[in-house]
Amino acid sequence: MYDKLNLLDPREASRRIAWSRRDFLRSAAGVAGAASLFSFAPARALVQLKNQKVVVVTFGGGARDEETFAPEGQENVPNLVKTLFPQSTFYAQVVNRGILGHYVATASLATGVYETFNNFATVPPENPTVFEYFRKDLKRPLHDAWVVAPSNGFNRIGESDNRAYGSGLGAGVILPKHLLQAALPAHGTIDYAHLLRDNYETPFYTPELAGSEVEMQQLEDILKLSVNDFVHHAMSLASPDELSVYIAKQLMRQMAPSLLWITLHDIDIAHSGTYSLYIDGIQRSDRLCLEIWNAIESNPEYKGRTTMFILPDFGRDSDIDAGGNGFQHHRTGDTLSRTTWMMVLGPGVRQGIVIDRPVQSIDLVPTIGARLGFSARFSKGVPLTEIA
Amino acid sequence: MQPSELTAASFTLYPPKARAFAVANVAVLQQLPLALVPLLLREVIAYDVRFPAEQRMLDDQFAYLRSRSRDERDRLLRGFVSISVPEKLAAMDWVHQPQQFSEALTAHLWATHQMDAFRAAADEYAAAWREAKPDPEPAVPRLSIVLIGQGCSSSPHPLFRKLRPYGTYFSHVDPANGWDVIVTTVTVRATKHQEKYQHWYIDGGEAADLPSRGVSVVSYAGLAPARSAILKRMRTVINSGNGGPEALRTLLAQTHPEDIGLDVRNDATLAHFKTSILTEGSGTQIFSTTFAQWTAREALRRAQPVTMLVRFAPRQRQLPMNELLSGQHLVNETDPVGSLIDADMGAYYTWINQQRLSGAEKSNFLAWFEGKNEAIAIGPSVPRGVISPSQMTIEKLIAMLG
Repeated sequence: MYDKLNLLDPREASRRIAWSRRDFLRSAAGVAGAASLFSFAPARALVQLKNQKVVVVTFGGGARDEETFAPEGQENVPNLVKTLFPQSTFYAQVVNRGILGHYVATASLATGVYETFNNFATVPPENPTVFEYFRKDLKRPLHDAWVVAPSNGFNRIGESDNRAYGSGLGAGVILPKHLLQAALPAHGTIDYAHLLRDNYETPFYTPELAGSEVEMQQLEDILKLSVNDFVHHAMSLASPDELSVYIAKQLMRQMAPSLLWITLHDIDIAHSGTYSLYIDGIQRSDRLCLEIWNAIESNPEYKGRTTMFILPDFGRDSDIDAGGNGFQHHRTGDTLSRTTWMMVLGPGVRQGIVIDRPVQSIDLVPTIGARLGFSARFSKGVPLTEIA
Repeated sequence: MQPSELTAASFTLYPPKARAFAVANVAVLQQLPLALVPLLLREVIAYDVRFPAEQRMLDDQFAYLRSRSRDERDRLLRGFVSISVPEKLAAMDWVHQPQQFSEALTAHLWATHQMDAFRAAADEYAAAWREAKPDPEPAVPRLSIVLIGQGCSSSPHPLFRKLRPYGTYFSHVDPANGWDVIVTTVTVRATKHQEKYQHWYIDGGEAADLPSRGVSVVSYAGLAPARSAILKRMRTVINSGNGGPEALRTLLAQTHPEDIGLDVRNDATLAHFKTSILTEGSGTQIFSTTFAQWTAREALRRAQPVTMLVRFAPRQRQLPMNELLSGQHLVNETDPVGSLIDADMGAYYTWINQQRLSGAEKSNFLAWFEGKNEAIAIGPSVPRGVISPSQMTIEKLIAMLG
């Protein structure tokens, strides 16, 4: 009755938890019609559409099933469950076989290859990014691909050092916190400190970038924001992720990029061990995902021709694994920490469909390639046939 | 250097008990794979300041290894043998800096996609020796008591949701004298069973005075000077402009109790334990709820006590991480509601960690919304998944657990 927990095989326990996604899917799919569950046949794969845009939203701070899509977690993600899920094709088992560190994992998502560099090094990915494939193959201008990233550590994510791609072919990268810091000297930092939270896994690690000239230029030339307007609006926001979404929406209005990548990061406060703040981060991410989708649907440049991908970069450790401390970290490499989900919405994407077969996080880039019409030739992933 | 090159002289710089232990087991160590030996030495080198339960486990583990034939050992450890360890790591001074080797090996395992293979090897090895040398049953059934919600008048969510399937939830608890009863319970157990480090009181705020000296006490407030010293050391790295995560980890790993003002003369083992909480725990230096949860986890895992009392207190509100680390916000506001949610999860984790120990089927657990009417009791004599509207006192609840 009172099993000694360490007698359970942790991997088996995690596997059981991962498979409990089915329970969620059955309950949540009731919203969209259970008949579509597990019944997908790739007969109606999308014919490549013209003038398509893609918005990718990643959570650079893993979230577990039990705080999101498991029955007990659904209260934390009401917008994902009730509003976005019924409109989406949902991948229930997205496995990340790479390094479970947020920068390197996000870089792996962006290249379609499991990158192996030091997670805390300020280095570019080794393999071409989705932005480089997109821009080179489709001959797109610089301002058609953008990344909004959470912290300074992500500043090299837009462009690899691959010789066939690389320099000049990547995406523009905006680090909203850096932008705010650059804008702040004349305004003081006290009222904005809550927006300048740092890397939660290694909070002291905030490599300095170049001076503020680039940021000021971004603010005025690209985002069409005066320093005053930007700083004033920032004051009304509650967290770094809200600042990121504000910047992303401004980018959509001013530049309407065809490929926009937004990485949220508030959830990673979990590393501090405070469960309530971790849950706050999940609830905020849920709200912001709906906000981004609403921005897509209300913007004529995006409405009806934008595919949105939402996925955490990976999960977090299970409560059962004795090697970890539950939600706090993602260090064990157990099944739960490697397994997450992905939601896809947009034109031609079947709604209320659940794909239960395991796919890999590195399948994202070739899938985007199949939708937009470029070849992710160095990627080790494969296009997801259900939506590609 | 390879393990086969180890000799008794390799351990000359180890502390006395660690040196004796390593020398006594050098023949076994020579035959083990490089992916394993430094991880064992990480435990051996600290032998002198380990808890008795940890020393026993290390003794048991090496007794098991010695009892196996070479072939049996090779079969058991083939998973470790198959792990490729580069020359660069082999060349490290892993005899004297096994922790640094461990961190470098971890990074290497991730980068070379060997983490899963390593986990499998470690699981297989641990299962084998733990089956051969199981932990002894505790002298009395274990009891953990967790108090949550200090400073909070009500909970925004139903409490103890994760624990309820395993015990009985009581919604009409009379809080009168609850704390006194709990203190008496802990004191009586410590008086009856006087083995060292078998009874713990961990407080996320200021520790109350307990009448028994047989209880190991650790509190967030009591470690304020040590926490401040740790944060100062962290700031030194940050402000140097040269520090990255590796530099900080190295600094923390090399921190001794004396470096942060902890006295090792009376109880070196406890002083080292407290140091490890602040240097190895993430968030323990700045959030009292994290401190209480992690300290309880580590005490249960390492000391394997029979009595654990954890009292959560409100943590400070969230601030930008760099500001929290700066230690400049000594009078920051508290967040009682957030702390209650943290502590509710902390209670669940404390129960899980207790259940990992021997005698789990007889262990007892009580979590109480301190000063309020809600509690949950878990034990072999308590029905599972039941909500009880019965009028209860803390005294009755503890008596019910037995």
